[in-house]
Amino acid sequence: MYNLIAKIGEGALNLCHETGGLLHLLFMVIKSLFPPRFDPGEFLRNLYKMGVKSVPIIILTAFFTGGIMVIQASVFVKRFGATSLVGWGAGYAVFREVGPILLGLMFSGRVGSNNTAELGTMVVTEQIDGLKALGIDPMQYLIVPRVLSMIIMLFLLTIIGDVIAIVGAALFGILIADVSFAAFWTSFSQNVHVADVVHGLIKAGVFGFIVSLTSCYAGMTVRGGAVGVGRAVNNAVVTAALGIVISDYFLTYSLS
Amino acid sequence: MITLKNVSCKMSGKQILDGITATFNKGEIWGIIGPPGCGKSMLMKLICGLYPVTDGDLYIESENIAGMSEVRLVPVRRKIGMLFQNNALFDFMNVWENVAFPLSRMNSGLSPEEIRLKAFERLKAVGLGGSEEKMPSELSGGMRKRVGVARAIITEPPVIIYDEPTAGLDPVTTSKIYDLLNEIQSRSQSVVLTISSDIIGLRSFVKNILFINEGKILYCGPEQEIDHCTDPVVYQFLRGLDEGPL
Ligand SMILES: Nc1ncnc2c1ncn2[C@@H]1O[C@H](COP(=O)(O)OP(=O)(O)OP(=O)(O)O)[C@@H](O)[C@H]1O
Ligand SMILES: [Mg+2]
Repeated sequence: MYNLIAKIGEGALNLCHETGGLLHLLFMVIKSLFPPRFDPGEFLRNLYKMGVKSVPIIILTAFFTGGIMVIQASVFVKRFGATSLVGWGAGYAVFREVGPILLGLMFSGRVGSNNTAELGTMVVTEQIDGLKALGIDPMQYLIVPRVLSMIIMLFLLTIIGDVIAIVGAALFGILIADVSFAAFWTSFSQNVHVADVVHGLIKAGVFGFIVSLTSCYAGMTVRGGAVGVGRAVNNAVVTAALGIVISDYFLTYSLS
Repeated sequence: MITLKNVSCKMSGKQILDGITATFNKGEIWGIIGPPGCGKSMLMKLICGLYPVTDGDLYIESENIAGMSEVRLVPVRRKIGMLFQNNALFDFMNVWENVAFPLSRMNSGLSPEEIRLKAFERLKAVGLGGSEEKMPSELSGGMRKRVGVARAIITEPPVIIYDEPTAGLDPVTTSKIYDLLNEIQSRSQSVVLTISSDIIGLRSFVKNILFINEGKILYCGPEQEIDHCTDPVVYQFLRGLDEGPL
């Protein structure tokens, strides 16, 4: 009994510690933005590394996501002849929900985990101390450029993903559900609104923020060599995924 | 130049340094020695402001850095060139970029091309001509050490700290490195603090010695006189005896 209470207490303390750490990191990032004090070279390098290099995987994910929506729907579409619903259904689901979530998780897996591993390795090999010793603030040189890049890039990648997913849905619709392109387009353009796109993009921005903050925090707080880096990557991916799903619930609720 | 008054450092409940008092003046070359884990590297990191001093005062020139904020530490750190024990090379940059990095980050008034040439020249001086474009991971341990040395001295700062500059180097390269360090020092009249476990090589280079054991100073004075020190730990350590308190 005593043990149980001690465990709960320890868990609660840990949670407070981590939350405090995250908030402190957030505060430091905001402080470095007003006035903007961060390294422009690193910012551009990260935009390229995190964003441009993610385009192929995002295209692949989005294309098949659009396709999957149509395949799942095709059974009912065929049974009820509801071809006029395919474009609407695919667009609505992809823009508002499936697109941002899947791309966010993909981004966390590719970019967030990589970021944690990179920062964590820099911590354990004293490269962060090395930067500080040269009079360089790791916040301005490493963290802020990465946080900004991730938020901006997940946002832009989601726009690309949205377009590709619709292309995928239309294509699979023609091939699998016998929905002509004209029918798909009419249903899509008449029922899907700008608001649906905006809804998804707001989510993408929030997810980018969550992935960037959790991955940077996990990386900068690594303790204890390669094992520590592994644990941190693991924590970062799990925390980001949880953050994405939970914030999605609240966003969907409050934006509807 | 650097004055420590009763400096102590405690981390995770463990007393790592205890009541360190010492003064390192402009133009002096100091050797820091002591058994493994006695706190040599930690003392250097305190001087660099990388870890907080828990007690006492630490002056760099006339500024007390004990309790100083990160922002105010930045200009102080720029006065210090540091070679880390594990080199701490940036693995996302190649060799010459690593060496040029400190210079490109300060207002040296040099053009990027001049900075590059200076980095190349420094790499040649440490015997690494031809490896400029390699990545740190492609180098041997001894080569990495020399890149670290080149990076620590490129800005010719008033304080230079070498944590094990010759670890893993052969005697010939060791003596070449010490010649280079001497040349830099005589040109810039900086304070040099050198940690090394190669006592013989170190003694040929330094003028003064600070001996630390378990976070406390056991000897602080001229290099020649440490042989007369009667402390049993110092006595045993210098002579490499099996019998003794260590
Ligand atoms: N970040 C840290 N957190 C907690 N304890 C530390 C930390 N860094 C070093 N220590 C402890 O401080 C003591 C001194 O470490 P330090 O690295 O200064 O030793 P050293 O004299 O340089 O040894 P060596 O000659 O092996 O390099 C050691 O007992 C070490 O365990
Ligand atoms: Mg050491």
